[in-house]
Amino acid sequence: MSKFLAVVKREYVQRVRSRMFVLVTLGAPLMFALFTVVPILIAGIRAGGPTRVAVLDETGKLFERVRDSAATGRVGDDDDDDEGGEAQAAAAGGAMNQNTKARLEQAAKAPAQSYEFELVETAGAPPGEVRARLDERVRRDELDAYLVFPRDVLERGEAEYHARNLGDVFTRGQMRGAVVRAVRDARLDERGVTPEVMRAVNQPVRLKATKAGGGAGGEEDRGQGFFLVFGAGFVIYLSILMYGQVVLGAIIEEKETRIAEILFSSIRPFALMSGKLIGVSLVALTQFAIWGVVLVGLGAYFAAKGMAVSFPRIPPGIFLYLVLFFLLGYFIYATIYALVGSVVTTAQEGGQLALPIIMLLVVGFYMAFPVIRSPNSPFAVWVSMVPFFAPITMLIRIVSQTPPLWQIALSLVIGFATVALLLWLAGRVYRVGMLMYGKRATIPEVLKWVRQP
Amino acid sequence: MSLQKPTLKLELVTKRYGDFTAVDGLSLQVSPGRIFGLLGPNGAGKTTTIRMIVGITAPDEGSVELFGRRVTPELQNRIGYLPEERGLYKKMRVGEQLKFFSELKGFSGRPAEEALERWLAKVKLSEWRRKKASELSKGMQQKIQFIVAVMHDPDLLVLDEPFSGLDPVNVELLKDLVLELKEAGKTIIFSTHQMEVAERICDDICLINRSRKILSGSIREVKSGFGRNAVALRHAGGDGVLEDPLLVASIERHSDHLEALLAPGADPQELLRRLLASGARVERFELVEPSLNDIFIEKVGGADNE
Repeated sequence: MSKFLAVVKREYVQRVRSRMFVLVTLGAPLMFALFTVVPILIAGIRAGGPTRVAVLDETGKLFERVRDSAATGRVGDDDDDDEGGEAQAAAAGGAMNQNTKARLEQAAKAPAQSYEFELVETAGAPPGEVRARLDERVRRDELDAYLVFPRDVLERGEAEYHARNLGDVFTRGQMRGAVVRAVRDARLDERGVTPEVMRAVNQPVRLKATKAGGGAGGEEDRGQGFFLVFGAGFVIYLSILMYGQVVLGAIIEEKETRIAEILFSSIRPFALMSGKLIGVSLVALTQFAIWGVVLVGLGAYFAAKGMAVSFPRIPPGIFLYLVLFFLLGYFIYATIYALVGSVVTTAQEGGQLALPIIMLLVVGFYMAFPVIRSPNSPFAVWVSMVPFFAPITMLIRIVSQTPPLWQIALSLVIGFATVALLLWLAGRVYRVGMLMYGKRATIPEVLKWVRQP
Repeated sequence: MSLQKPTLKLELVTKRYGDFTAVDGLSLQVSPGRIFGLLGPNGAGKTTTIRMIVGITAPDEGSVELFGRRVTPELQNRIGYLPEERGLYKKMRVGEQLKFFSELKGFSGRPAEEALERWLAKVKLSEWRRKKASELSKGMQQKIQFIVAVMHDPDLLVLDEPFSGLDPVNVELLKDLVLELKEAGKTIIFSTHQMEVAERICDDICLINRSRKILSGSIREVKSGFGRNAVALRHAGGDGVLEDPLLVASIERHSDHLEALLAPGADPQELLRRLLASGARVERFELVEPSLNDIFIEKVGGADNE
């Protein structure tokens, strides 16, 4: 037992004292800020002057409406789903794009873009020629874009947008909103709806979102709920990935340097392996504790300064679940990493062989999105029972719409039973694999090690 | 030689890896307070044997008894092991590293602190205590690894090729430390394929080749049992005597003497008598023992060495 504790202690002390730990503890929040705030700032930058748009209005009813609508800077408040999809794709893929997308849209709304509209006088010229002239002006950089409203636009609902830069999805989205509103207003006008009625109809509705059953306060949730859920899943995902790699590195180091030979002559391999796993897990928990204290401290500081930083109210139970599900995920993946580490001979090989594990974790992470959308669907329930996905998906369910306790308990029981099984398996491979130098073991060999007495 | 209970006893030990038999029916005994050489070419099964002795692996057949008992984790604390393939944690300070390894042998606190200081001083590395292992030269690291093996004051010390890669000064230093430990009553198993080293420090040896024991016993017994009789000779006259095939099998001439390999069953005393009787002037007459190296090469054959 004291040998086991010696292993835990070494693993913990050496790592917490390392430069890497300090760097990650300080750096991770900075990186997080960098990846969330900076894209918003960058998206807010508009290079160049106002966008010059010519309007070829064959109906003669839409020019003013479009111009005024665009000037108010309101994006189409109805059905802009497909544009949104493109904006998302444009937001540089990657794990955070749901998150980023929401923010980018806000950012695109915030600084009302300025436009210069001009009405195109056709003077009886054929449409083809008018367009050619407009194209030519766009090419000469006298215009940025032009809109074409065919005569039957009100009936057929088809207009054209020609622009030099179709990749500018924000401008495109705003134009679309302006056009949709202009056409809609024109249609209403045609049917004798007065401007007063139109204004009344267009009165925006603000949806106040409040978590149901959230207690007496009924505090309004302006999306912090989503960020909390998402943040929790993201922190778990990254920590498992990072500390899994730490375990992999630690195991490979002892194998590569042959320290394992000395260690095995002093302590049972299983005690050694589990000591390492637990030591590293304590390092991760320490890091969480530091982040937690800093977060609470900052919150208290801002509150004392009277600044209106509304942290979402987090029920304390969630921290317990965060720790529990982190540990579950950590032990599942780190144990697999330990197994991989004892089979390979070099860090590079370890990296290759660990790829499928990372894929599994990434799949679990992407499961988060459907689960956030409907946390109590049968899909979400099943996925949160699968041990490899439970750490992220069940946690998200707990944060968003707490499932019945028995489901949480069942998920934990299945998860920790899997951990026990994996530990047994990894332990059997580890005790043989750590002493095998020279070449990477094949799968049949590894299976033989497992069966060896 | 073994009235006392043996420190270590292997009986018909066999270890297989798949189809390959690494150690085949090996029996040996190591007596307390002696230096026991486990000799053999590379790949003979030395390291596998050692791994079974220190409790890293278990034999498939046969038994390994240490101090009269099967090897348990508690018993492992009484063994010090310097493996042939060895390493240190690169980024860990030397002092912390040594304390960690001795803690794994159940040796900690004040006594461990004192032993640490003492041993670092002995290998002249005291000022390196706070340095990281990666800052040490290879020879220094090897001396630290030696401390790992001896610091917790084990009763049985297992050294696998302890001197390989060391410069002569450090070889002497470590050799003296090993002999000092022997004086202190420790039992030492010393594995090597360098016969000159083994010859200088071992009391008993066991030679293994291709997973099997070839011969064993004290160095004395092994040499006399080898049955090779040679005489180093410097003389004037009496050459006729050396030509007697019943007496001398072959002659090897060196710069200032010759070496006569005696015929089987011939007595060196008889040779000396005949030389003197023939009026020869004998300046040097010395019985030459076979070196362990000679025995090794003869028994193992040069071909599969290395």
